[in-house]
Amino acid sequence: MERVQATAIVRDILEQEAIFLEEKRWDDWLSLYTPDCLYWVPAWRRDGTLCSDPRRELSLIYYASRGGLEDRVIRIRSGQSPAGEQLARTTHLVSNVRLEDAEQSGGMLKARASFATHFYAPKDRKPSICFGNLRVKIVQADAQWRIKEKIVQLQNDYIETFLDVYCL
Amino acid sequence: MPSLSSTVRDLIDDRPAEGIFRVHSRLFTDPALFDLEMKLIFARTWNFLGFEADLSKAHDFVTTSIGRTPVLVTRSKDGEVGAFLNRCPHRGATVCQQEMGSARAFVCPYHAWTFDSAGQLIGMKEKSAGAYPSNFDAMAHGLTPLARVGIYRGLIFGSLSEDVASLEDHLGPMKFFIDLAMDQGSHGMEPIPGRSVYSFRGNWKLQLDNGLDGYHLTTAHASFLEVMMRRRTGQGNTSANSLDFAKNMDARQSAFAFPNGHCALVNELPEDARRPFIDMEEVRSRIPEERARWVDLNYNTLIFPNLQLIQNTALALRIIRPLSPDLTEMHYFCLGAIGEDDDRRAMRLRAFEDFYNAAGLATPDDSAVYEMCQRGLAGGDGQWLQGYMRGVKSLEPGDSERARAFGVRADQSATGSIRSGFETQLHAAYRQWAAMMGDARMEAA
Ligand code: FES
Ligand SMILES: [Fe+2]
Repeated sequence: MERVQATAIVRDILEQEAIFLEEKRWDDWLSLYTPDCLYWVPAWRRDGTLCSDPRRELSLIYYASRGGLEDRVIRIRSGQSPAGEQLARTTHLVSNVRLEDAEQSGGMLKARASFATHFYAPKDRKPSICFGNLRVKIVQADAQWRIKEKIVQLQNDYIETFLDVYCL
Repeated sequence: MPSLSSTVRDLIDDRPAEGIFRVHSRLFTDPALFDLEMKLIFARTWNFLGFEADLSKAHDFVTTSIGRTPVLVTRSKDGEVGAFLNRCPHRGATVCQQEMGSARAFVCPYHAWTFDSAGQLIGMKEKSAGAYPSNFDAMAHGLTPLARVGIYRGLIFGSLSEDVASLEDHLGPMKFFIDLAMDQGSHGMEPIPGRSVYSFRGNWKLQLDNGLDGYHLTTAHASFLEVMMRRRTGQGNTSANSLDFAKNMDARQSAFAFPNGHCALVNELPEDARRPFIDMEEVRSRIPEERARWVDLNYNTLIFPNLQLIQNTALALRIIRPLSPDLTEMHYFCLGAIGEDDDRRAMRLRAFEDFYNAAGLATPDDSAVYEMCQRGLAGGDGQWLQGYMRGVKSLEPGDSERARAFGVRADQSATGSIRSGFETQLHAAYRQWAAMMGDARMEAA
């Protein structure tokens, strides 16, 4: 596969995810992930370095399957979460998509990208932002490209009130 | 309603004979009261500063604060734990900007006055060319040490005031809970690496209250309970292994108001709800059975004024850091046993992240309701709040049978079930608040 074409595939799925989150199409969003996906947002250590071992160090979010993402959707849809009572309006920007290595045998693409998500709930009268970069592994499953792994490096980890998957 | 001539003490309506306990909403909104709290409470009592486990080697340091005062905690080259104002005596800059690290010397970024890890000045740039007054050398130029520093079971506390009881006397029955937590590890406990720091736009005492509030579980956390219900069928993030609260609503709950403002809510869960990350067999082999049997107890505690030690779905410790009347910063730590295996540690982490993280499934709902409270409490003369009377009819003065079983001495106790959602434990905190704020005059609203 051409590098240009591979990059376009990654960019397409990341943009698709951004739009599903913006439009709160939760089931479509979930379907972008493989059931055995890794979704990981490592915490920062107090010495300023990033945690690297999720078995021994804290993560902001760590899911070794899509089940954790499903929980999020259940909670949002429950209508019983005060934090989600007025769900934030969000704008998800993704750019700087670069293929990490050209080893694309077996149909896996590895890439990094930068993101900035702006979110705003009217009750708070104040916009917020989360920004950072992410690393993804994309695989072909059921004739579709899906996210097998997503690792998010959140640069601003001083969290204002809450953080959820739709803020990333 | 407190009148113009009243004192701060009048903002707590405490009438034990009538069973009335109300707190005035001005405690959560009034900037003048906030300033008094900083002066009369935070600057006059023991505050938690950090973990000895974070200062394992000479020259290790952490930074923290007491109220709004920045504090630097170090281990000197002689191995002594010291605590200082993180404030250069020259013009006041923080001499250390990092949260944690190791440094033989702290060089102030402004004019390079330099301090060693015992807080002593070891360098003053261009001192001889400085034409200082002749009595300048007689002044202390080092970092200002805290008036008191004490360590209990690896937890470092400090006080800005000399005039405090010994740390052990101050902690009193809270030593029981600290012991339970620290006894989980054969080599002690440590804060697991990884920051969990967040802010909410509300008064710090909203967290004080909520940290010992079981009453809100089935409403504010209803969405979490729904997720847990689905997990029972094997769907969702079952590997978080979180505590299934809804299964244990009839477990016995005890509410304790202790001396010095400390309080605790203790739930005695059935055997199958005990947390799997504790190696109880190892614990039993190490400490006497009468203590070991309580190590996996479920408790939410407040070490007055702003430290909460909790063993619920995980073992956690939170520092409530007041920034302004309506802004609070939270520092959250997941505690793990030093040297424990990967499986146990991962169990602690996944449960902590699931429930307690600011990116978890429960804490965001707590923070959201605090912000609703802060909005609701705004304005005018405020009003008396009724959220401190669940359990009044169950109150026993002094120790209950359960207090005696745990071996703690309480000022008042209540016994019921998790459904009781007791609030009377909080009387201790507000009585201490009133005692320390005392007779300060109150401005008109
Ligand atoms: S403020 Fe620190 S050296 Fe001047
Ligand atoms: Fe809560």
